[in-house]
Amino acid sequence: MSHAAVLAADVVSSGEAGAFWVLGPIALAGAIGMVLSRNAIHSALWLVLTMLSLGGFYFVQQAPFLGAVQIIVYTGAIMILFLFVLMLVGRDYSDSIVETLRGQRVAAILLGIGFAGLVGGLIADATSGVESVGLAESNADGGNVAAIARLLFTDYLLAFELTSALLITAAVGAMILAHIEHESGSRPGQKEQSIARIKGPRPQTLTGPGVFARGNSVAAPALLPDGSVAEDSRATGMKMRQPPAIASGSIDDLDDVTVDSGANRDGVPT
Amino acid sequence: MPDLSAPSISYLGLAPVLIVLGAACIGVLVEAFVPRHLRWNAQVSLALLGTVGALAAVILVAGRNELTAARAVAVDGAALFIEGTIAALGALSILMFAERALDPAKSAFVASAALPVGSSADRKLATAPYSQTEVFPLASFAIGGMMLFAASNNLLVMFVALEVLSLPLYLICGMARRRRLLSQESAVKYFLLGSFASAFFLYGLALIYGYSGTVDLGEIREVAARSGASDALFVTGLALLIVGLLFKAGIAPFHAWTPDVYQGAPTAVTALMASCTKVAAFGAILRLLYVGFGTSEWTWRPLIYTIAIVSMVVGAILGITQTDVKRMLAYSSIAHAGFLLVGVIALGDAATAGRGLSSTLFYLLTYGLTTVGGFAVVTLVRDGDGEATHLSKWAGLASRSPLTAAVMTLFLLGLAGLPLTSGFTGKFAVFRAAIDDGAWPLVVVALLASAIAAFFYLRLVVLMYFSAPAEDGPTVGVPGLPTTIVLAVTAAATVILGLAPGAVLDLAEQAAVLVG
Amino acid sequence: MEIPGTYAEASGLLASAWLLVGIPLIGAAVLLLGGRRLDKAGHLIGCATIVLDFVLAVALVAALAGQDEGEKAVTDTLFSFIPVGELQVDIGMLFDPLSAVFVLLITGVGALIHIYSIGYMAHDRARRRFFAYMNLFVAAMLLLVLGNGYVTLYIGWEGVGLASYLLIAFWYRRPAAATAAKKAFIMNRVGDVGLIIAIFVMFATLGSTSFADVFAGASGLAAGTVTALGLLLLLGACGKSGQVPLQAWLPDAMEGPTPVSALIHAATMVTAGVYLIARSAPLFDLSETARTAVTVVGLVTLLYGAIVGCAYDDIKKVLAYSTVSQIGYMFLAVGLGPAGYAVAILHLLTHGFFKAGLFLGAGSVMHGMNDEVDMRKFGGLGSKMRITYITFALGYLSLIGFPFFSGYFSKDLVIEVAFDSGGTLGWILGGGAMLAAGLTAFYMTRLMVMTFLGRPRWDSDAHPHESPAVMTVPMVVLSLGSVFAGFILVNVLPLSDWLEPVFGPEPEVDHVVAPIVVSILTTIVVALGVGAAWFFVARREVPVRPPVNVSPVIKAARANLYGDAFNESVFMRPGQWLTRAMVYVDNRGIDGAVNGLAAGLGGTSGRLRRTQTGFVRSYALSILGGALVVTVAFLAVRFG
Repeated sequence: MSHAAVLAADVVSSGEAGAFWVLGPIALAGAIGMVLSRNAIHSALWLVLTMLSLGGFYFVQQAPFLGAVQIIVYTGAIMILFLFVLMLVGRDYSDSIVETLRGQRVAAILLGIGFAGLVGGLIADATSGVESVGLAESNADGGNVAAIARLLFTDYLLAFELTSALLITAAVGAMILAHIEHESGSRPGQKEQSIARIKGPRPQTLTGPGVFARGNSVAAPALLPDGSVAEDSRATGMKMRQPPAIASGSIDDLDDVTVDSGANRDGVPT
Repeated sequence: MPDLSAPSISYLGLAPVLIVLGAACIGVLVEAFVPRHLRWNAQVSLALLGTVGALAAVILVAGRNELTAARAVAVDGAALFIEGTIAALGALSILMFAERALDPAKSAFVASAALPVGSSADRKLATAPYSQTEVFPLASFAIGGMMLFAASNNLLVMFVALEVLSLPLYLICGMARRRRLLSQESAVKYFLLGSFASAFFLYGLALIYGYSGTVDLGEIREVAARSGASDALFVTGLALLIVGLLFKAGIAPFHAWTPDVYQGAPTAVTALMASCTKVAAFGAILRLLYVGFGTSEWTWRPLIYTIAIVSMVVGAILGITQTDVKRMLAYSSIAHAGFLLVGVIALGDAATAGRGLSSTLFYLLTYGLTTVGGFAVVTLVRDGDGEATHLSKWAGLASRSPLTAAVMTLFLLGLAGLPLTSGFTGKFAVFRAAIDDGAWPLVVVALLASAIAAFFYLRLVVLMYFSAPAEDGPTVGVPGLPTTIVLAVTAAATVILGLAPGAVLDLAEQAAVLVG
Repeated sequence: MEIPGTYAEASGLLASAWLLVGIPLIGAAVLLLGGRRLDKAGHLIGCATIVLDFVLAVALVAALAGQDEGEKAVTDTLFSFIPVGELQVDIGMLFDPLSAVFVLLITGVGALIHIYSIGYMAHDRARRRFFAYMNLFVAAMLLLVLGNGYVTLYIGWEGVGLASYLLIAFWYRRPAAATAAKKAFIMNRVGDVGLIIAIFVMFATLGSTSFADVFAGASGLAAGTVTALGLLLLLGACGKSGQVPLQAWLPDAMEGPTPVSALIHAATMVTAGVYLIARSAPLFDLSETARTAVTVVGLVTLLYGAIVGCAYDDIKKVLAYSTVSQIGYMFLAVGLGPAGYAVAILHLLTHGFFKAGLFLGAGSVMHGMNDEVDMRKFGGLGSKMRITYITFALGYLSLIGFPFFSGYFSKDLVIEVAFDSGGTLGWILGGGAMLAAGLTAFYMTRLMVMTFLGRPRWDSDAHPHESPAVMTVPMVVLSLGSVFAGFILVNVLPLSDWLEPVFGPEPEVDHVVAPIVVSILTTIVVALGVGAAWFFVARREVPVRPPVNVSPVIKAARANLYGDAFNESVFMRPGQWLTRAMVYVDNRGIDGAVNGLAAGLGGTSGRLRRTQTGFVRSYALSILGGALVVTVAFLAVRFG
């Protein structure tokens, strides 16, 4: 049996039990949803749900510091960063989900269930009948936050300090993988670009999309006074809508007609 | 609020680790402030200073046996021997990193890792004279992490050290200048699988904490002894911890990443992983099993016994069908991990005066040196695309470059464990310790596996000497000073530790102390 | 005699005995690794290392001579070779009077022959390789005689075997040379097996292989074990020294360059067997049977060599059989126990001088005669090659035991102790040795006459000329040794006194035949041999083609007394049958099993390899599976 000495066991309050039965399924649903979603953003959002529920668990179990950290750091910072990255990369970007390995999925599901069942069963078995000790003792001196601080700066000082190496490595790694170091002078700076623009044939800004158009989408090219498309208002890299034909035809069904201006990215008039 | 007294820290005992990590931190600053044309030399000398300084520090503090930093780190014979081994092998690997004479592009590391593979900027930089010098501080971080990993007396420190050693490795695996996609693929694979394995370790840690209420190895042992260790939490936790460590050590059935990553990573990085990481992982395995779970030996012993057999057999048999030198050496490392587990099994007790521990330490040293040497030779054999690692390219190498073939043969014979090489002495010591410990069936299997493994080592020797050289065969590069030093040191060590291992065996015997 | 196996610890200069081995070894390494850039200086490096070695050897011997009484044998453990468990094998040096004698012989004669080789090999493109192998040989030979245990000795033993193999096959493009090297290698292996089994037996019974422990513990061994050890060591010695029944490789080894024949197959390596037995004297002292076996081998060999030597026309083959025969003398002496050890070493030394000189002379003749070795095509060379002729003649006189030349002193002593051993066996041994002395005189006179005297029978394109000074000077020095060494080592600086710390004082013996009588009788027999040769060879015209219709005795002698035929019918043929049978079994049974196993392994490997898909998800699955299995297994162990 576990050595956890039986000290002034608190009975699990009904409120705590209730919170568990509410948050538990939500956390589980979040986790399952995260795995099963085909859309990466949905997965991230499902994960946020799980993280929030876990934060809730911590609060209920008298660990307010951990709960706050869980919500602020994981949900607030890390998951939002995740979402940022996913948005930047493009939300349609997804890998093929066709499984090429024979038996991979079946085996993975079986082994996953087996492992979860085994460990879950063992833990359930090992902890059943163990009476809760309660946090009164460890939170006695100055509360939960102070107790954590004390541990961090005594028993786990080295582990705590060591994480700095981990953080430096992570920062350096991010720099390596994301930062392209350009040799000075190899690219025009802001100043050079400004000078070049003033000296060039067209010092003013390019026409924005949507001018005189019926929509304000970035995909709607600007129209010149004669109703023709202002070519330099076309945004690069996306499908532009067909400008409304003034002279003829209905303009109501324009939304369905799109042309691919991909071949026209460099502004060459068609 | 009560007084808070900070734990006493023996800075001298921690000096080897602190020196390497300090060098790494300064390296990051160098990266930020030193102009590009000076960075390479600054980083190389700093990284060498760190590893060699650590080795010197190990020699300085040798003989201590204590726990420091609130019992988190053990400073004992075994830890110091392993730290010294890692520092020495790390210094050799850093030298391989620093080689500039072999590749026409001056470095094996990419000029700008952030550029997409195959982009025009990337192609333009393919022969750029500079490269990402961040590899040196990253390697120093990894080496520091490895040293602490093997010395940690606390599961939490062990886990953080595991991450400290892994994270930089994930990064530098993906930074090869040539065949960048392969290199990046290996980095991603290593990262994903490494994280997966770390999760197992962490889960195990949590279960053990749940069982014992502590993460200190010594206290875990006491709790286990007191309660008879019959709790399912304890057993499951131990199993998961072992899974995490076996993964890092590249032991079957947790070896699948090894060949892919070893093949894809830059060869200098492969040398670092194959030697230092393995040494560190075995240091941690020894400490975990004997300090933390020494009283419950009969729980894990049959398992480690079986896993040793599986690893030896899988490594030896799969090595046969490999056609790439680096993959072949990867399977060789899997088989060797099995041989090392034989030593772990045979650790013995006070009665046998820790002969198993000392022979395992010795084996780690000899294996590491020979492996680094083998990979150093791999960097020499090149063709237009960089290193020519396909076996067919090595045909008839002896007629092209007799010295290279001879040195490679020496390393292969060392890995095969033929007499008069260090590999033989190491195997002999480990197997003998196992027999003394009554594990003779294991030794029989180990000998059979050695015989099978010898086949693929000797096949390469035969290929180099008795095959007609290919028409468009590779050229053998003339190594610069760094690789020459590596080859000279490792070849000399392979011979000397085979001919006159007495002094080093004595050293290992004196170092066979685990505290905690 | 001191208690066997007590050696003092080396200090000062004597602690640097390992340098003797180290210097030529470094020389060999430099020459082999240096590559073609050393082609120009290779021979100079090779010679310099050996000359330096000789100087060091002289200094060391002087230091040894200055040691106190009772500390004449110093040992120095260099490092622990295999220190695992009970198996403690140290590599170390033992420098005592016996080693000292060999060290001087090896480095001295070695230096002379190295210098000679500069001239002899001048036109060979692989001269650097030659000197590298020669240096390797010297290093290995010195390790053999300096080792302080049987394992160190064995390393040197195999080292000289390797060097000998490489040098016999130096001109490896010649099929004869390659075959001779292989033959030498295989026959040596037979002997080496004896030596290594002896080492195993020592380890099994005494737990150690160092001379100190073995000799100290030998008296505690069962008589049968000691005898077995002696016979096994004798087998090893026979292989290395070309003694019956393992003699056949030595004459064939003459395919190597002549300096090799002089250094390795005359002066030094082939005497390693004598060294082995002399070094193991404390073992042989304990076994009458083993010693008798040694003397019998010696007697048979010395007669065999002398008889076959009479029949050959190849100048180097004659000298080779002469070597076989002379080493037979040494075996005979060394088998006679305390009375004979010093005598054997004395003969070994004088033989080293005159036989090396004779081989160098033969080399000089070949050098002048387009590498011709057939004596029937020589004749009358004395006037063309005066220095060669004179030095060769001095060596010849020494070999046949002409009074007051070196060989006279040593061979007489051998015959004397043979008679003194007493009993019928003593008479047989003495008589046989004396008879062989006569035969020696016969075949050597025949060689002299056919080569240097008489009418020239040269091939038309031969232009005999004297060799350059770099070759003649070593010959002159060696001929001085063949003249004076015997006298000096018996009367001026008695070898027996020098070796006393090793073999103990010479026992007092009652002479069966008075020494003076032995001397006179031997001289008479020798004179008869010379006369017979004069009568049969010199007075008649030597036919350029060997006569065909000859007596059965000569036929037998020409066929090596059917030694090769014996080998062929007793060992080779049954061996071949056995091999064929084994090959059959091997192909059908073992190969089937092995190939099946290999195919099985390969197949397993191929199948297992398919699990290595390259996909991370499948690797992760394998890790998950492994984790599950490990956990279940742990639980099974714990709760099962």
